[in-house]
Amino acid sequence: MSGEEEENAAELKIGDEFLKAKCLMNCEVSLILEHKYEQLQQTSDDPMNQVSQVFEKSLQYVKRFSRYKNPDAVRQVREILARYQLAEFELCVLGNLCPETVEEAIAMVPSIKTRGRAQDDEAIEKMLNDLSLIKKFE
Amino acid sequence: MFLKVQLSWNVIIAPENLQPQGLMLQRAIIIRLLGDFAMKKATKDLGYFLAVTTLEKIGEGKVRQHGDVLFPVVFNAITFKIFNGEILEGVVHKVLKHGVFMRCGPIENVYLSHLKMPDYEYVPGENACFMNDKLSKIGKDVTLRFSVIGTKWMEADRDFQALVSLEGDYLGPVSTLDI
Repeated sequence: MSGEEEENAAELKIGDEFLKAKCLMNCEVSLILEHKYEQLQQTSDDPMNQVSQVFEKSLQYVKRFSRYKNPDAVRQVREILARYQLAEFELCVLGNLCPETVEEAIAMVPSIKTRGRAQDDEAIEKMLNDLSLIKKFE
Repeated sequence: MFLKVQLSWNVIIAPENLQPQGLMLQRAIIIRLLGDFAMKKATKDLGYFLAVTTLEKIGEGKVRQHGDVLFPVVFNAITFKIFNGEILEGVVHKVLKHGVFMRCGPIENVYLSHLKMPDYEYVPGENACFMNDKLSKIGKDVTLRFSVIGTKWMEADRDFQALVSLEGDYLGPVSTLDI
């Protein structure tokens, strides 16, 4: 953080280093952690004993909170969201929470309407429609 | 939020693990790095350390006083950090009279005070919970969507705590059916 402004993710004030950092959606983290866990299963009889508590709790969490499971769907979600000039942080909040309406999307990511960006309701609506299509065809 | 970060750490290898075969040395460095990574658990700036994803570079080793060698290592990893103002989902694991505790990612202590769940009343009993007049229930194992109003880093335990709220549109219990 720059120190002067208070952190507020709703206004996308999360510090420059995080604004530029690559964020990951729950479904992406789930694919990575599950792959790691499978690798461990091949080399160890008791893989859960080989991983840290942080790993174990996170794996449980992302398994429960992944809206998309299929690797192709996960990739498509990022591709679709990447078309809308979103910050990494905003992209992942939308991918994680999957809002159903424009109003809900703005409540989840208020910064898409501020910062003087040209994110009109129609564009947001199209984005949500595209996302729900992936879900349907998964 | 889960983050992908690049880190530069120094890994120290004891002299007995320094074998001439290159592959064995690389293996020793990776094992040591993974051990250090899991031990570290979390930092205030980057949050919790989940997993090392890729190794970018192992630099030239520098011999230190007692014969062990220090290798600079650059690698990518996944972390989880909770931000003020962020909207997240978590699972209730403890119900108290004055509020509930939730799990969210690696964080166990996400606290939602009774004062921050408007309209909900405490219902005592064996399966104590909070309920509003629309019979929406906040009890054990219920999934909630909330906004983060405060975070605290506990240096001694290398752990975060978070204060969260349901005040806002589209926050509250989430039906697990649509997940």
